[in-house]
Amino acid sequence: MSAPSSLDPLLTFLSYSLLKVQDIFFQLPGSAVIARYVRSSHQNDPGRTALELILVVFAVRTLLQSRTRTDRSASNFVKLTEKEIDELVEEWVPEPFTAPLTPAEVHELANLPVIQGASGPKPKLVNTGKTVLNLASYNFAGLAGNEQIKERAIETLRKYGLGSCGPPGFYGTIDVHMDLERDIAEFLGTESCIIYSQGFSTVASVIPAFCKRGDLIVADRGVNFAIHKGIDISRSNVRWFDHNDLKSLETVLESIEKERKKKGGKLTRRFIVTEGIFENDGQMLDLPKLIELKQKYKYRLILDESFSFGTVGRTGRGLTELYNVPATQIDMIVGSIANSLCSAGGFCAGSRVVVDHQRINGSSFVFSAAMPALMAVSASEGISLLTSQPSLLTTLHENIRAFRLILDATATVCPIQIPSHPASAIVHIQYRPNAPATLQVPTATSHKLSLSPSKQSNPSSLAPRDAQEFDIELEDKLLQDVVDEALSQGVLITRAKRLRGQEPAEPRPSIRIAITAALTKKEIEKAGSVVRSALVKVLGKRR
Amino acid sequence: MTSKKRSSPSLSGKSSAAEYLSALSHKDALARNVVGVNGSRVSSPSTTPALSIASSSMYTSSSDDTEIAELVDDGLSFPSVPPTSEIVYTTRHSEFGHCSNEAYRYTPHHDPSRPVSGHVEEDPPYYILFTTYISYLLLIIIGHIRDFFGKKFYPKDYRHLMPFNGYAALNSDFDSFYTRRLKTRLDDCFSRPVTGVPGRTITLLDRVSEDELNTFKFTGTKTRALNVSSYNYLGFAQARGACADAVEESLNRYGISACGSRSQGGTLDLHVAAEALVARFVGQEDALITSMGFATNSATIPALVGKGCLVISDEYNHASIRFGVRLSGASVRMFKHNDMKDLESLLREAISQGQPRTHRPWKKILLIVEGLYSMEGTLLDLPAIVKLKQKYKFYLYVDEAHSIGALGAHGRGVADYFNIPPHSIDILMGTFTKSFGAAGGYIAGSHALVSRLRLRSHANAYAESMAPAILTQIIASLSCITGVESSAPSSALTSSHTVTAATDDSRDYRGPVPASCLPSWIELSPSLRSGEEGRVRLRRLAFNARYLSRALIKLGFITYGHADAPIVPLLLFHPGKMSQFSRLMLERKTPIVVVVVGYPATPLVTSRVRFCLSASHTKEDVDLVLDACDEIGDLIDLKHGSGDRWPLEEIKRRAVELVEME
Repeated sequence: MSAPSSLDPLLTFLSYSLLKVQDIFFQLPGSAVIARYVRSSHQNDPGRTALELILVVFAVRTLLQSRTRTDRSASNFVKLTEKEIDELVEEWVPEPFTAPLTPAEVHELANLPVIQGASGPKPKLVNTGKTVLNLASYNFAGLAGNEQIKERAIETLRKYGLGSCGPPGFYGTIDVHMDLERDIAEFLGTESCIIYSQGFSTVASVIPAFCKRGDLIVADRGVNFAIHKGIDISRSNVRWFDHNDLKSLETVLESIEKERKKKGGKLTRRFIVTEGIFENDGQMLDLPKLIELKQKYKYRLILDESFSFGTVGRTGRGLTELYNVPATQIDMIVGSIANSLCSAGGFCAGSRVVVDHQRINGSSFVFSAAMPALMAVSASEGISLLTSQPSLLTTLHENIRAFRLILDATATVCPIQIPSHPASAIVHIQYRPNAPATLQVPTATSHKLSLSPSKQSNPSSLAPRDAQEFDIELEDKLLQDVVDEALSQGVLITRAKRLRGQEPAEPRPSIRIAITAALTKKEIEKAGSVVRSALVKVLGKRR
Repeated sequence: MTSKKRSSPSLSGKSSAAEYLSALSHKDALARNVVGVNGSRVSSPSTTPALSIASSSMYTSSSDDTEIAELVDDGLSFPSVPPTSEIVYTTRHSEFGHCSNEAYRYTPHHDPSRPVSGHVEEDPPYYILFTTYISYLLLIIIGHIRDFFGKKFYPKDYRHLMPFNGYAALNSDFDSFYTRRLKTRLDDCFSRPVTGVPGRTITLLDRVSEDELNTFKFTGTKTRALNVSSYNYLGFAQARGACADAVEESLNRYGISACGSRSQGGTLDLHVAAEALVARFVGQEDALITSMGFATNSATIPALVGKGCLVISDEYNHASIRFGVRLSGASVRMFKHNDMKDLESLLREAISQGQPRTHRPWKKILLIVEGLYSMEGTLLDLPAIVKLKQKYKFYLYVDEAHSIGALGAHGRGVADYFNIPPHSIDILMGTFTKSFGAAGGYIAGSHALVSRLRLRSHANAYAESMAPAILTQIIASLSCITGVESSAPSSALTSSHTVTAATDDSRDYRGPVPASCLPSWIELSPSLRSGEEGRVRLRRLAFNARYLSRALIKLGFITYGHADAPIVPLLLFHPGKMSQFSRLMLERKTPIVVVVVGYPATPLVTSRVRFCLSASHTKEDVDLVLDACDEIGDLIDLKHGSGDRWPLEEIKRRAVELVEME
């Protein structure tokens, strides 16, 4: 056999170099310890040596992998030559960046009302050049154009300039921001408060600040777009309950509890997310009942009060004032400073721990410039006006009542339904052929009446239990006709504009009316009858 | 403003004239004492009184604190060179520095024959890296020891971190470890509360902590400090001047709010006017304004791309872009920061492989990059990207949050800087917080695209529209940058091109805006109308930026970024040096406030301090920063750069030469 002999020099070289390596290794300080460890561990358990070797190889491999992940190693990767890639690049035709506008869309954009000069109860429109009664803009307590607020804003401008020129972390925390946070916290009766520079981005940032992957969110099916986006980005597990139906919530909570007991597992953070007055239809939450459930099942509550803060309760403190519930029982109260205080931004009120957590984890707080100083001061001034002049809210509530009186009567002669709560400052009007006259708020009692209780909705799906069928295009068109008709008679209202195609659950088309305290009862009644006649004119025939 | 004017009674500010004269006489008295030491008062051992101004004794709360502060010689309130009666400054020196030396100006330009420098990371000596890692290790070990004993002895303090009463911890001790045990140690350097204008100087509300930085107490005193931290590139953070006057007028006319979202009754004529101006300014057909910069990205990107689309994103893109991309549902791939080779190979792979698993071609590919990176100071390699775009047919989205207004000879951002026609970029996004001293952001693009966004952008449908006061600040500051065309001759012509003016190729979009685009009630002084003021601001900013970044390198520091970028990051490496640097800067005779950033905003080892220059800074202000850096750099061992070094005095003397160097 000649093969082994020809390998001899190779083997001697190998054993020589092995000795050499060993030599160098033992010259290193501390190497003896390692050698002893390896030897003894190998003696005790040879399998472990193999395992550790594999671990080392794996660690080296991980370290060597590039920072930006590529799919090149995946089995699905198709190897192509440079020429083929060039051809593919040449061939590839991307879709157009955006679809061209349809004539209807062009028309919609062209007819968007543009206000000339200040917005307020009676603005002038650029489109028509006429002054109108404004039931479209959010000016619930009538703070828009308030001289006292203006004066304070100008003072602030002369002291602080306009922009904050930086995020709160980097010299963007101005003393007036801290003042506003304190004012809101005191107003609501919470320990602490944090302000964000845009109302819409607030809740979408608050939710992912607390809810992480693996956590559980139980949310209402009818929540607004911003909440949906916050839930999307949190990547938490979501269960849905029927819109404003706390019975359904209880069923969902009960089933989760059962499941958890069966499976065991570690305690995760659990949240209930819902709205005080729902942006999409104006329904109102039964807060005491919800608090009861939340405490029973030990959930934290994220309550979006964007449309109830500043509109309900004696002085506009929101649902907590209306139901006389201490605000401390709600873990996170999210609200809009822009909507009812006629300034800009949003807030989240809660305990100190809750608020401080957001100062580091609320992405649209940390990564965005702080609110301009004069906006914060205007909001503070707005709060002090609400507290010192309860008549603002009383007028609003009277106006809501007066308007609803006319509208509810209209519902008996027109195929419309009004899902909004009688106390809600936003009033939605939906077109509903063959509808029951006025659909009152589906509270727990109405739920008992509706359908067979055995039929439950699927909590992991957004689809409601008794899905309404509606033709979006047709209803949008009819409602727009109503809006146009009202405008021609001097009342500015608007359709609830939706992002069709992007909405997680397409809400039914509606007209959204915002009642204001800045108009007198007479004017509100006049506006109401204009809306009524527009509804009758467009929809009356379609009964 | 800084331009020379015969002190004609009609032009100088009505209210400021008397004020100015009294300040002038006071200044003369001071100058007599101080000047004479080399012309630079910084080095002069002037008898500086205490910097902290007792808030109670010196003035009543109703009075304007900046006025009082002017009377205190803290090295910040008065220019080092006393003004002569020849020059009338209409700005407050504390808000916008007085500088009439025409040599301290620079017009940035890009030499197309030279490649754009990518992101060059200069490595420090190994012992620095080694000790940095050791520091983190120590911090982590000590943190865990403290947690261990803390939970034993002070369980009450840990209750909110532990499951309690059937609720899981809101933020578990593990998740919040970094914040509690590492960030808390330097919490006095973050979120320092301020008051007044964030201009050239800023007033800090002094605070102390008696419980190891967990909570702070206000002492009631204030400190005025030189501000190299705020995003105030063109110095429009002002409580006085034409912009503030216009905003006041607008508050009177429009009130505070526009009351509602853009598509639901919250659109004012001012929105339309501002959007037309912005579109012109950036050289696109149309623009859409959003009330928050963060939301401009996070609410627009989901309206542009969705499932089946690919977003290619720079690894250092801002959080708002990531937020938006995550919402959109599109696939994301990242490429190495500003690395065009990596980008091209990623593009080739993405197009040739198609969608994962199915190999279907991507519907569209959107490349999202920033014009100027806020943590790195790097400039986008736009020429290379535009070339790649022609070959690979992706759509291009450039976030100009920091570059708009701050870059280019005309302040029009990266496209202006590289002299590339703006319509070769599909979407230009930017914010008004930085260069315009306002708030919010814009999206600009073709008419069709912006119209589509008006219907699809989340913010347009649901978010509050921008407040009229902010719109006015944008309109006024933007017209200051561009100048206003006199409307006298061809008024018929100018009125016709309000929105689509930029498409008209015969006109340069970088010219002045027609007077018809401005609301008639906005009054601008002649120097603003001519655009002279804007040009001075742009050139002062460019000078300051180049001077500081080059001088720091000559002092031996390691910095990142492009020489023309107004953001200059100086590398500190050690986590402990962040707080040291920040505190030492604040404790100086003339305090300076700086921004220090570390992990997770930067990679673990490259903690840094970030200077943001402004047109409101004078050369003497930059000298101040250099003095401080030089001293502190020696003290805490920061000078690890490899290039040749100049002595500090030589740098200051040869500043102009340094800036002009290629």
